[in-house]
Amino acid sequence: MLLLFSLAAAAQKMEGEITYDRVFHWTRVYSRLSYMSQEEKDRLKLTWGNDDESKQEMTMIFNDKQSYYSYPKVDELSEGGYSWRKGEFKIYRDYENSKMTDIIEMLGKTYIVEDSIQAPNWKVMNKIKEVAGYMCMMAVTEDTIKNQKITAWFADNIPVSGGPQMYGGLPGMILELDVNDGDIVTTAKEVKLRPVTGEELALPKKLKGKKINAAKYVELTSNHIKDSIKAHRNPYYAIPY
Amino acid sequence: MKKILLLFFLCPFVTVAQAQTGGRFTLKGVVTDTSGAALPEATVMLLLPKDSSLVNFGRTNKEGAFELKNLKRTQYIFKVSYVGFVPYQENVNPKDGDVTDLGRMKMKVLQKELYEVVIKTARAPLSIRGDTVEFDARAFKVPPGSTVEDLLRKLPGMQVDADGNIKAQGEEVKRVTVDGKRFFGDDPKMATKNLPAEAINKVQVFNGKTEQSKVTGVDDGKREKTVNLELKDSHKKGGFGKATAGVGTDKRLEGKVNYNRFDDKQQFAILGFGNNTNQSGIARNDYQDFKGSQSFNWGDDGDFGFNSGRYYGGDDITIQPSWNGGGSEGFTKNFAGGANYNYDNKKTKLSTSYFYNQTKAINDVQARTENFLTNDSYSSLDNSKSIGFTGNHRPSLRFEKNLDSLNTLVLISNSRINSGDEDYDSFQRSFLNEGVVTNQSTVDNKSEYNSFAMANLLLYRHKFKKKGRNFAASVAYNINNADEDKRLNSMNIFFQDSTRNSSINQLNQTESTRGNFKGSLSYIEPFAKKFTWETFFNYSMRKDKVDRDVFDVSGTEREVNQFLTRYYSNDFTYNRVGTSLRYSNKGFNFAAGLAGVQFELRGKFASDKNATNFTRVDKSYFTLVPNVSLNYDLKNNRYLYAEYGLNVREPSVTDLQPIVDNSNPLYITEGNPDLIPSSSHSVYAGYNMFNPASFTNLYIGLSYNYNVNQIVYNRTVNVENLITTTKPINITGGNSYGTYAGFGFPLKKTKATLNLNTNVNFDNNLTYINGVKNETNTDSYNFGTRLDLTPSDAFTFYGNANWGISESKYSINTNQNQKIFNATYGADVNAKGPKDIYFNARFNYRIYKNDQFGFDQKLPILNLSVYKIMLKSKKGEIRLTANDVFKRNQGITQNVNQNYYTERRVRTLSRYFMLSFTYNMRGVTASVRRNNNF
Repeated sequence: MLLLFSLAAAAQKMEGEITYDRVFHWTRVYSRLSYMSQEEKDRLKLTWGNDDESKQEMTMIFNDKQSYYSYPKVDELSEGGYSWRKGEFKIYRDYENSKMTDIIEMLGKTYIVEDSIQAPNWKVMNKIKEVAGYMCMMAVTEDTIKNQKITAWFADNIPVSGGPQMYGGLPGMILELDVNDGDIVTTAKEVKLRPVTGEELALPKKLKGKKINAAKYVELTSNHIKDSIKAHRNPYYAIPY
Repeated sequence: MKKILLLFFLCPFVTVAQAQTGGRFTLKGVVTDTSGAALPEATVMLLLPKDSSLVNFGRTNKEGAFELKNLKRTQYIFKVSYVGFVPYQENVNPKDGDVTDLGRMKMKVLQKELYEVVIKTARAPLSIRGDTVEFDARAFKVPPGSTVEDLLRKLPGMQVDADGNIKAQGEEVKRVTVDGKRFFGDDPKMATKNLPAEAINKVQVFNGKTEQSKVTGVDDGKREKTVNLELKDSHKKGGFGKATAGVGTDKRLEGKVNYNRFDDKQQFAILGFGNNTNQSGIARNDYQDFKGSQSFNWGDDGDFGFNSGRYYGGDDITIQPSWNGGGSEGFTKNFAGGANYNYDNKKTKLSTSYFYNQTKAINDVQARTENFLTNDSYSSLDNSKSIGFTGNHRPSLRFEKNLDSLNTLVLISNSRINSGDEDYDSFQRSFLNEGVVTNQSTVDNKSEYNSFAMANLLLYRHKFKKKGRNFAASVAYNINNADEDKRLNSMNIFFQDSTRNSSINQLNQTESTRGNFKGSLSYIEPFAKKFTWETFFNYSMRKDKVDRDVFDVSGTEREVNQFLTRYYSNDFTYNRVGTSLRYSNKGFNFAAGLAGVQFELRGKFASDKNATNFTRVDKSYFTLVPNVSLNYDLKNNRYLYAEYGLNVREPSVTDLQPIVDNSNPLYITEGNPDLIPSSSHSVYAGYNMFNPASFTNLYIGLSYNYNVNQIVYNRTVNVENLITTTKPINITGGNSYGTYAGFGFPLKKTKATLNLNTNVNFDNNLTYINGVKNETNTDSYNFGTRLDLTPSDAFTFYGNANWGISESKYSINTNQNQKIFNATYGADVNAKGPKDIYFNARFNYRIYKNDQFGFDQKLPILNLSVYKIMLKSKKGEIRLTANDVFKRNQGITQNVNQNYYTERRVRTLSRYFMLSFTYNMRGVTASVRRNNNF
């Protein structure tokens, strides 16, 4: 039965939309900042640790050649009915031409990161689980700049090397991305296979922002992290965690 | 012919990393199931054996065949993944020649049971390493108190019989290990029957080598079913504590202890302190450590709706953190202590605490007041000393239950039981002309009081299935009862008119009760994706009863003072119905609303509770209150906000009673039954900006208030004998403008930061003085700057300077116009020396100048401390502190009011030296940097 299912899935054209929930625990991020004392970390955890979860829906639109990851098109109001501005965060991938275009608002500016697709050095592990109805394998890597342990669960029967945030480069779509054992977990809650139009995946006609390459992006973020830690500030107010 | 289908994706990153040596080769093979049927579209991966790094990947074609070309000649792990099958893995050693053929690889079907139970139902990751199957214990729910045996029964493929014998995949389990080690002998049941299920993180089932082969080191090829239990990290459980004791000169002592224990569901804390160094409040950090997850509870307010026309009532009866951290004035001796317990399993939250605090305060005050009349002015001097004791018991309870994902119930009950006494002596003199005493009064009052306050709130919140649609209801009942006995003794001498001389000897017994019932409803409906519509209703019914018996005492005789003895009751009803509409989109939030507010005041009073001739005051009042607000979250960390509102407050009962109170013959008060509620229009707006790249920030704001029917106290002063009579009246027209701005930027990033700030305020106060309307205009200009130097981890300097000028102009007595100049210069220097020795100096230099009174005061306050971190793991700290080295601390405050200027000095704790020792279980963190307020 499982075999039949996978055959059917493989036969279908792999394009559609994935809805992720991005669950964020801010006290865990703070407790990793090196300038915080143990006493402050404990206090933070005891005071806010039970109630520090925030959730944000994210969307991925993909076909076998391209993908686009960002906030949902329709801005959802908060539980209390307020709307908070989400900074620009649009991640475009063109796998055919190995081209990435990230439009990211950070450090008080909008940057356009253009380069060939970069992939981290993934290690594929012997663990499987199911995410949103898809069997996923585990792969791990490390972000040495932000000092993060990254765990990705990818579905090898969605043969697109994309994923949440700026991650990708695995034999299948990443359906769950876990940063530092639960600081931020982005999990697919629905994979909807549907025809995708070229328009949905196309770059905005006019790109407004400062163009940089991937190396410059790494330089900007790593300098900001260094400066912020020195100044005893949380760097992740201004750059994606 | 085999058509090679390769979704060939080479990570550029990875390819570059592989240096080119030797000839390349091609790896090929065919993937099938155990029966030999081809598996098309299977994912094939090549990993490096040392760390499983992914080097290359591809897919099989329709015939299950794959070919990976141009591979570097080295060892690989070849891995195949296919849904429904156990991932296949094989080590690859490239053979001579261009092509290495792995042949046919047969993949095993993943046990359906494992797949369904572990992956689908428990949503737990399944780890497969050869024969080992690993279960995530957290995913399999067992009731609290269960043993490992109960947990194993839940796992797929595991059976546990009545005697506790375990079978895995049909085979008997010979061995149970805990974290890879034997657990008290060979009986597998020892661990499974005794260990609690909660302690287990993972369960691994595998075929282990026999004991014999382990001992001999010779693999006999036999395998035994083994279960390994991996224990949870105990980091979620913990405890920490801190204790400080200090002894100083001038008999100064201080001590503090706190201790916390917690696990992932519970928090328990105790806190206790005692001192005679004016630390009466609970420091913010101690408060947070004590209350834990219950430190700050937003949304515990049962009064729904916008700010305009909101009902004010009740005081804080729970403990509060002291935000400014400063000591109290005068001399105080303080003791406090309590315990707090929180339980939180996400569905049920329970928090209980008890706290007791007591303070004995000695205040020695010298006050000088200049009063301005239409043409004259006079001054008064008041030397007073009070010794007061107050003690508070505070039990508190908060219970929150999430009935289901849509319904929440919150119950809060806080109480304060207070008792205290005060002994107040004062000598007051008034001078019409410099040096000539007009009247004088010697006062000796003693009082004793008890009070009980309780606030109870039941809150229900319901979320509808439609996101954003919410309903909430609350009921509250608050009690505030007090009972006071006061002895008033005073000798009053009027030098111009000796007939008015009096000697007062009274006993004043007052019993007051207050009960306040409140209820609120709110309904929020979102529509058209960008709109939120809220409708709310607030109700409050307050009943006050005051029974005051005043006796004139002479010797042992008591005689009821008919004039001052009074009983009154007062019912105050408040209703507010309102609605507001908000538009929200992409960070832009604009709301406008309107509410109708109705007050009803029914009061009656007489000399006695059982009197028949009650005088009644009945008032009712209706008004509409608008509320408009804007919150705009702009691009690049900029934020704009504004609000307009109208606030309405009812007159107090005592102000409404048409009674003359002359218990203080120098200061006679009179009520006014014609008072109507006061209201004030207020507008504020602001803009904030922060540039995270340059660490620059900017904030500006402005506010405006306009008072309508403000209740002010008309003052009539008899110029002959300087007796003041006050009477409240309504007056319209007082207003105030305020603006502030601040700008901060780094002079050198991370090393030096400069902040500039300024605020300008214009106040206009109205009152009647001897029947003439007086307008007091106070214009104040303040400018401040702050410099933070943080060049290294061994030295920091935080400096600040503030200058302020306040100019007051009086319309009735312009020659009393005055200018007050204030300046503060501060420096905070921290240095780290060798051997964990730290040094801190805080210097504060304040200047007050008022030319009108020839007042020029300069106060340098210097505090020094040196401390050393010691003991193993830096758990100890020994500290020597010098407080107010120059002995110049004088509690000086100045206050300009409608028609008087007061300068007050309180004799306050000054120079002392203290030696203290701290033991902190978590280690003392010494840093020259200011802390981050966590």
